[in-house]
Amino acid sequence: MTGAALGSLLPLPVALPIGGAVAAPLLARISARLPIVVSLVALGAAAAVLMLEAPGVFGGRVLAHYLGLWHPVHGHALGIAFAADPLGLIFALAAAVIGALLLTYTLSELGGLGPRELGGYACLFQLLLAALIGAALTADLFDLFVWFEVAALASYGLTGFFLERPIALEAAFKILVLTTLASFSIFTGAGLLYARHGALNYAQLQVALRGHVTAPDLVALGLLIGGFATKAGLIPFHGWLADAHTAAPGPVSALFSGLMVNLGIVAILRVVFSIYGPASAPVLGLLLTVGLVSALLGAMLALAQDDLKRLLAYDTVSQMGILAVGLSTGTAAGLGGGIYHLVSHALFKSLLFLCAGAIVHRTGLTRLAEMGGLARRMPVITAAFVVGALSIAGIPPFNGYVSLGLIHQGLLERHETIPLALMLIAQVITIAALGRAAWLAFFRRAPDRGRLEQLRPGMLAGLASLAGCCVAFGVAPGFFLENVIAPAAAGELHPGRYASAVLSGAARLPALKIPFDYASPGELALVAAGLVVAGPLTWVYLRISEPAAIRVLRAAHNGSVNDYAAYAVTGTLAVIAAVSLLPRLSGHGTVSGGIAHRVSTHVVGQDGGLPIASHGGGRGRQARAERLLHAFVVRQPVGEPGDPQGLGVPVTRAGQRDGAASSHELLPVTDDDGQ
Amino acid sequence: MILANYLTAAALFCIGLYAVLTRRNMIKMVMGLSLMEGSTYLFMLSLAYRGGSTAPVLLGPPPGTSMRALAHGNVADPVLQNFCLTAVVIGVAVTAVFLSVVVRIAQHYRTLDSDRVREMRG
Repeated sequence: MTGAALGSLLPLPVALPIGGAVAAPLLARISARLPIVVSLVALGAAAAVLMLEAPGVFGGRVLAHYLGLWHPVHGHALGIAFAADPLGLIFALAAAVIGALLLTYTLSELGGLGPRELGGYACLFQLLLAALIGAALTADLFDLFVWFEVAALASYGLTGFFLERPIALEAAFKILVLTTLASFSIFTGAGLLYARHGALNYAQLQVALRGHVTAPDLVALGLLIGGFATKAGLIPFHGWLADAHTAAPGPVSALFSGLMVNLGIVAILRVVFSIYGPASAPVLGLLLTVGLVSALLGAMLALAQDDLKRLLAYDTVSQMGILAVGLSTGTAAGLGGGIYHLVSHALFKSLLFLCAGAIVHRTGLTRLAEMGGLARRMPVITAAFVVGALSIAGIPPFNGYVSLGLIHQGLLERHETIPLALMLIAQVITIAALGRAAWLAFFRRAPDRGRLEQLRPGMLAGLASLAGCCVAFGVAPGFFLENVIAPAAAGELHPGRYASAVLSGAARLPALKIPFDYASPGELALVAAGLVVAGPLTWVYLRISEPAAIRVLRAAHNGSVNDYAAYAVTGTLAVIAAVSLLPRLSGHGTVSGGIAHRVSTHVVGQDGGLPIASHGGGRGRQARAERLLHAFVVRQPVGEPGDPQGLGVPVTRAGQRDGAASSHELLPVTDDDGQ
Repeated sequence: MILANYLTAAALFCIGLYAVLTRRNMIKMVMGLSLMEGSTYLFMLSLAYRGGSTAPVLLGPPPGTSMRALAHGNVADPVLQNFCLTAVVIGVAVTAVFLSVVVRIAQHYRTLDSDRVREMRG
């Protein structure tokens, strides 16, 4: 198939799950399990379409599709663009495939629920996945905000899914407050960028921002990062995360932690690399700091938890921090490691949450203190949990080893030894936290009350495929690194190519090699040292009382939603301050205000061809605007359901409806062209 | 005149934020968030403003203006107005979910004080 034909399929992976989401509650009237089956079909079809795109995209091509066929003219995009680049496709595929696995698992575990519950569950689940796929594939900032909101709405519903559990209500209120605050931040940031540059397309914004980053642009950058960091659960924006994961059913926690949280990271990647491009160099230091703080504090909080799901949730905070550290290096190895870790984390954290959910579902126990001896009672769940824990710990045959090793490599290339040391400390605490959980829940001696496990095929299939992927991505990273991760890293390192591919469809991403030495003695020594330190640490922690640092940290998480909101707002303000002040201090970037730039990028907005050069502009500029207007009037397919932004009253239609006379009145605009 | 808009938006935003950060009554927090939302709309619409411009509708230009004047950009920016329309729709849905959660909390805990609804901490 040609690129254009493949590109025109891009809206399908989003449309299919949305269609399924609409059908699910209706089909629940026929049979209780039908909604889940339909969801599986929809997600399978979405994954198949994405696989069709895969060979071309991972070969270095960026497939772009403009909704309503409003193609860009002279580098000015009017329509909403969907563009499949390697990074977006990785995330979209992960969402579709892991989402389908989680639904298979749900079918077995929660299949006994009533038709209304299952219908609503399947609807929200698919809506969330559709939003994640949409966010991964879109190349339009406002569209990203809309997918963010769709994901948020679905996540509110899923958090409060077991409404009869009071903690679910509490969690739903917290996630609502914090995510709504984040959405204001993103909304304002996107609006500011549009108002200054008249563009929403990533590529067009990138062109406009090249070399001309002004103070309002930096404020917008801070707002966008603050907003998306809330979704990613980075500290100090993480107040909602642990509570939402604790209250939701197992597969939903797995979906949140494995996939939804990553939306924040992917969006930050888009903003930092695809939109701001080289202008965002000072932000990388900020990302590094936030990442390290999240990694360390998240791991410490995880170590202190008594609730198994809460422990895993705080570990998600820590892992997101490590992801941010990897991305902040800006080198091929570090970025590749970060993207690899995104996939790894999706796999092992889904696996762990499914195990935790299965324990809660079978035994009704949530606290580690009450568990114990589960290894005998649930051997398969235990095995799956151990695989997940070893993957997070970064032990060689599992996937965590590869992604963490690449991030270490990236930090070393930048000679960031102190961050590397801090990251290793966080890793040791993580190993201790998971080791403690595994010991308390599974291996500690406890009175044997008989075997509990009755695994249905769907559960087994879900656990086995996730665990199998954890091993597969760890054993044979070469193929995956070379064909999938390297193109994704290349796309982020060469944002210019991405931009021209989206706007003109011509450019290809350059080939990139990310070497990884599997048997590197340094890396193996690090893993061994980590295990040696983590073992005694766990033992000591189990024996002695809580250290003061952790007690203070836990006291700060007092459950008050006002306080959590205050942390997030303070964090956003700090990010804005850091982003706008750093370039001035370090002398990076050219901070230059000035109307001249503003006008030059403002000639044509995304509003259906209306030039917005109201601030002046010479005769030549006016002529150019008119040429563009003419181009749109003539070139747009008249009968198309155009109107990309909903209200941008398409010139073509206005002309058509009023008949020949008025369309004639529009066209002569170009008469001035030659003057 | 447009400065007044920006000042009003900032003031509304701060009042809303103040409510979210200091009020423990959940209904008041929802009201605070709605105020903040409204202030962002005002901000966007003010950004869309152009001196002496008309509405961005091309069907029959208003008396005294020609189609050409419209084409030359003497209109308010419709995309930012669109932003607001989209966000209003989303905001309504979010507020509905918000209030239904608050109602369920009130039914269950018999209180609207968010400080008494915090079983999960640490």
